[in-house]
Amino acid sequence: MWADTLLIVFISICTALLGEGLTWLMVYRTEKYQKLKAEVEKQSKKLEKRKETHGDLLDKQHKKKIEREEERLKNNNRDLSFVKMKSMFAIGFAFTALLSMFNSIFDGRVVARLPFEPLPWIQGLSHRNLPGEDYYDCSFIFCIFCVPCQYGRISRKCWVLHLPGLLPNKETAFLAQHRANLNNYNVYYLYKFC
Amino acid sequence: MSTKTKILEKNGISKSPQASVWIRAFTSTSDWPDKEEFLDVIYWARQALGIILGIVWGLLPLEGFLGIMLFVLINAGVIYFYFSNFQNIDEEEYGGAWELTKEGFMTSFAGFLVTWIIIYSGLYHDVDKLST
Repeated sequence: MWADTLLIVFISICTALLGEGLTWLMVYRTEKYQKLKAEVEKQSKKLEKRKETHGDLLDKQHKKKIEREEERLKNNNRDLSFVKMKSMFAIGFAFTALLSMFNSIFDGRVVARLPFEPLPWIQGLSHRNLPGEDYYDCSFIFCIFCVPCQYGRISRKCWVLHLPGLLPNKETAFLAQHRANLNNYNVYYLYKFC
Repeated sequence: MSTKTKILEKNGISKSPQASVWIRAFTSTSDWPDKEEFLDVIYWARQALGIILGIVWGLLPLEGFLGIMLFVLINAGVIYFYFSNFQNIDEEEYGGAWELTKEGFMTSFAGFLVTWIIIYSGLYHDVDKLST
C-alpha cells in the first residue's frame, strides 16, 4: 500500500521535473526567449513609470505614446507564447507516452483509499478503470494528477517573468496570465491524457 | 553609487539593508518593499500548512467533506490572520484581501489531498483490502 502510493508520488515528481527540464532546454535557455523576456520586462517598467509620472493628466500625445507601447508589449507577449508553443507539443508527446506506460502497470489497481466520497464529476478520474461501485477506492491517475500542481511556483520563481513592484494592474494582467499558462502546462497534459 | 544599488532603487526596492525573508516572515509588522517576496512567503506558508494539515487529518483520521471544509476554513483563516493582524499589510497594494487569501490555495489543497490520502490509506486500510 505505502509502496504503491509513494511510487506514484515519486513518478509524478519525476514527470513534473522532466517537464520542467524539457521546457528549460527548449524555451527558457534559448536566446530568443531571454531576449523577449528582457524586452517585456523593460517595456512594462517603462510603461508603469510613464503612467506614474503623468498620472491621470494625460494629453493626447502621451495617451497615444502609451497606447503604442501597450500594443508593442502585447505583441512581444504574443511572441513569447509562440516560443513556448513548440515545447508544448514535445512535452505533450513525452507525457502521453510516459503516462500510457504507467497506466498499463497500474490500470485496474486500487492504489489508495480516499477519506471522502469524491463529487460525481471527479469520480471519473478517481475511480478510473476500477472494478466495483465503491467510489472511496482511488485509481493511480488521481494521485498522479495532484502532484504536478506543486511545481508551478518553483519554475515561475526560477525562469519566468519577475516584475517587482508591478502587481497587480491592467498592464501586467496578461503577463500574469502568460506565467500561469507556462506553469500549468503539465497539469493540462495530464488532464488531456485522462 | 554602485550599479547594483541603482538597479535596486530603479526596481523600487529599499535602499537600506533588509533583514532576511525568514526573519521578516516571523516578525510582526515587517516591511515588505518587494511585493513578490511577500506573496512568496504567503505561498510557501500555505504549502507547509497544507502538508501539516494533511498529515494531522490522516493520523486522526478525519473523514468526509468535514475534513475538506475544515482545511479550507483553517487555511484561509490562518493566512488572513497572518497578513491582516500579524503583518498589518495594506491589502489594497496586493489587489485586495481576496487576492491574498487565494494566493497559492489550489496548490496547497493539492498538497493537502496527497498527504491526507497517503497517510489515511497507509495507516487505516491494509493491502489485502485494497488490491482487488
